[in-house]
Amino acid sequence: MNQELIEQYVAGRLSESEAQAFEDYCLENPEFARQVEYEQRLKAGIAQVARGSTAEFIRAPHPLRWSLAAAASVLLAFVAMFYLWNPGTRAVPPPILAAMTDSTPHDGNSLRLALVRGSDTAPTLPPGMVRVEIVGLFDLEHQYSVALDRLEQDRKIDTVATLSDQRPNSPVSLVVLIDSRQLRAGPYSLRVRKQASGEEALDFGFVKN
Amino acid sequence: MEFVPGGELSRRIRQGDVSAESELIRQFEPGLRVLLRRRTGGDHGLLQDLVQETLLIVIQRLRGEGIDDPQKLAAFAAQTARNLAIASLRKAERQRTDVDSEATDRKADPTQSVDRIASDHEAALAVRALLRELPQPRDRLMLKRFYLDDHDKETICQELDLSEAAFNQALSRARRRFRQILEERGFAKRDLLSLGL
Repeated sequence: MNQELIEQYVAGRLSESEAQAFEDYCLENPEFARQVEYEQRLKAGIAQVARGSTAEFIRAPHPLRWSLAAAASVLLAFVAMFYLWNPGTRAVPPPILAAMTDSTPHDGNSLRLALVRGSDTAPTLPPGMVRVEIVGLFDLEHQYSVALDRLEQDRKIDTVATLSDQRPNSPVSLVVLIDSRQLRAGPYSLRVRKQASGEEALDFGFVKN
Repeated sequence: MEFVPGGELSRRIRQGDVSAESELIRQFEPGLRVLLRRRTGGDHGLLQDLVQETLLIVIQRLRGEGIDDPQKLAAFAAQTARNLAIASLRKAERQRTDVDSEATDRKADPTQSVDRIASDHEAALAVRALLRELPQPRDRLMLKRFYLDDHDKETICQELDLSEAAFNQALSRARRRFRQILEERGFAKRDLLSLGL
């Protein structure tokens, strides 16, 4: 299997039988499959960017924009360092999203999140400190990151809290703790990603009433 | 990573070996994602859903009655995924031809749907980052011609006055960088942003 064949598959130029043979080969060769997936995602990403406008493919880089971005980054770093080194200047709230261990106290409320195809309604987060079990397929040898996103109107996503280096509790579940009291009412999503893999995150939606 | 033959995986899963189930997921998930990505038309949520459903079906089957030819486990998983994709497509078609306006309104409510983030945002963000980094406008145009307009290499080389070697080199560089951006992104940037805010 070579790059040219990957290109032909991704461009949809193989016959159905050739494509199926190619796919069978991918299932037996995970590293090769990852290479193919990057090619698919590059093509899909380009199509998605171009859906808005193709200007990004044509315009020249703007030096002033880079200078402003660099200046903003430096300022952000200074602000972050100031806050980190002066803990007295800020109140430390309890974590909204935390790792769950056997000894972690919680209110006894729990929520099970799983991807359900065709579901139009999202489960509701109970009040208090909630044990949230994320049901999916996990690799026990990898660590996972979990981000709690608030889904604003007009598809805007506001990341509320993140948690990294989490180990799944079993090949089919990962458990975290969410402090429901600190969340405003509205739709949320837990984004779970296998760290250092480049794989896409899985999104588990729920609603806080 | 060592590839474990289908026969061995089947036998171990049948015996209740949980690590073999993890091994099966690790081995087959990338290939299933490739196969199903082609069949889900850019619906990221559906892709994730079908990958999970396929793996669960295969694992449950191996835990229970098993499959006729364990040596062909990969082919069995691939066919299961194809069948699920076809069933999903048929279901979507049925829904399109049997539209209920009340149901359509319900689906349009952004506060109730869990599948709002359906497209591959990470890939789009990585492409944007890649485009910003590419020094030559010609390289950006080359990507557009190749991936978006589906022009063949020869035509693009002629249009942009490129040798085939230069084209392959630029494309390979862009692919490498795209992969690197996706791998680097992880949650690192999100964590930094949360800290800053």
